[in-house]
Amino acid sequence: MMRKLVIATAAAMFICVTAAGAQAAEFPNFSFNGFGTLGVVHSDEDQADFASNLFAPDGAGYTRDWSPEVDSVLGVQITTNLTPRLTGILQVVSEQRYDENYTPTVEWANLTFDITPDLSLRAGRMVQQTFMVSEYRKVRYAIPWIRPPKEVYGMIPVANVDGIDLSYRFRFDGFTNTLRALYGGKDADTPDGSEASARDVVGLSNTLEWGAATLFASYFRYRLTLEGLNPFFDAFRQFGAQGEAIADRYDVDGKRFENISLGLRYDPGEWFVMGEWAWMDSRTFIGDIRGWYITGGYRFGEVTPYMTLAQVKAHGDTSTPGLSLAGLPAVQAAHAAGLNAALNQILGSAAQQKSISVGIRWDFILNAALKIQYQHLDLDEGSPGVLTNTQPGFEPGGSANLFSAAIDFVF
Amino acid sequence: MQIMRTTVIVWICLLSLMAGTVCAAEVVVVVSSENPIKSLSLTQITDIYLGRMIRFPNGNPVKPIDLSESSPARSQFYSRYLGRSQPQIKAHWSKLIFTGRGQPPPTVSSGDAMAESVAENPDAIGYLSSDFLDDRLRVVTID
Repeated sequence: MMRKLVIATAAAMFICVTAAGAQAAEFPNFSFNGFGTLGVVHSDEDQADFASNLFAPDGAGYTRDWSPEVDSVLGVQITTNLTPRLTGILQVVSEQRYDENYTPTVEWANLTFDITPDLSLRAGRMVQQTFMVSEYRKVRYAIPWIRPPKEVYGMIPVANVDGIDLSYRFRFDGFTNTLRALYGGKDADTPDGSEASARDVVGLSNTLEWGAATLFASYFRYRLTLEGLNPFFDAFRQFGAQGEAIADRYDVDGKRFENISLGLRYDPGEWFVMGEWAWMDSRTFIGDIRGWYITGGYRFGEVTPYMTLAQVKAHGDTSTPGLSLAGLPAVQAAHAAGLNAALNQILGSAAQQKSISVGIRWDFILNAALKIQYQHLDLDEGSPGVLTNTQPGFEPGGSANLFSAAIDFVF
Repeated sequence: MQIMRTTVIVWICLLSLMAGTVCAAEVVVVVSSENPIKSLSLTQITDIYLGRMIRFPNGNPVKPIDLSESSPARSQFYSRYLGRSQPQIKAHWSKLIFTGRGQPPPTVSSGDAMAESVAENPDAIGYLSSDFLDDRLRVVTID
């Protein structure tokens, strides 16, 4: 129902665009823009996949030798200024989904009202500004890399939310500060057919700009449920008090997650450097995760070589004694041992790795850039790193190499 | 120092002559002669054209106007006053457009149209090749 409504609205808006044309200063006015990436990635680890995000069912490596699915994306957007103070956007994105098809999904659909020129309120669907480039992470033309470093951007599973957000901007002595507060929630489908839901998402983010420097900080808090894991933890609960304790400690059923991110960018024009540090914590099997990256590049005219170092580490439990088998009848003891092994498997598979990437961006025409990137992943002992869909033949703790090429464009 | 700068300017003139442009016509930042603003810093011009600064230092609203992307004066303006290339500017506005956070300045297609648009709006700021200057416009000095 919701989807039909959105499609109908989009169609109506599009007709208005073609009929009215884009004429600034007359209201309402409409503009049509788009962005996209055509990319391929190869991974030399053929027993696991390098996938685009936590909701992607597969990727490069095991499933495909060269995958066009990881990075390719197409987005179109209609922006309308309904009055001088009321703006609407509708952005629809097509990319590899949890169910392996490319049905376009609504990434942004909201109305912004400027209470004053510096204070605005918006409502609808929006992307939360968890990290410095979260909001435009799919607009690859606008970011230095082929894709944002997974060591940081792979941490948080739910990206866009339905909610409200307040933005306040003020200037002093050449500084521009923008403070935003957000409240919302979102359900998302996962490849195994279950839902991931983020509720009571509350966040604050602040961006301070001064000349070539940008300083970013954010704090987000939400309750997350990964429905697909509930049967697994319910099996623990059948073992009485000790099972309850283990399930309560590690399940993801309405648990509070918190994350903090700090970022810095310095871009005087000829060169740039940027870095971020992020922390996420919850009383779940996911535990305490910290990641960072630092990137730098130098612009030789249209050609920009760049390099990135990144790391993600899990600071929580990576193993647990689990259920005590003492005194259990043989059948139950075997069942408990199986659950313990599965739980330890999940705890041990936390994404932990370091990586180094080198790449080059070539702005061959104004609206498009070609990027080529090589990334070496050094997986921590016992961890698959950011690789997913691991096969029986996969050996954790080794290394993997990714070769990527992409054309990013905007229109 | 002065001699060195003169030498550099002479060389730039020679190079631009070879490239087919006329050196005398440099790109200047202009406001309407009715606008009280006489000077701005490079940081202020940068912030106005990146959408971060929405008022002149005297508190009046500022309405930047751009030349179209194919205009050579546009490239010169962005590289000289903002130190940024056209793709960098495109990337900057992509971040704002696709997050609903802003829209780039309206564009006009010629120096004449720019002179006209700035002259008729006291809140406007623009840039053009000095060939298109007339007495309805004031060149903003850079401090």
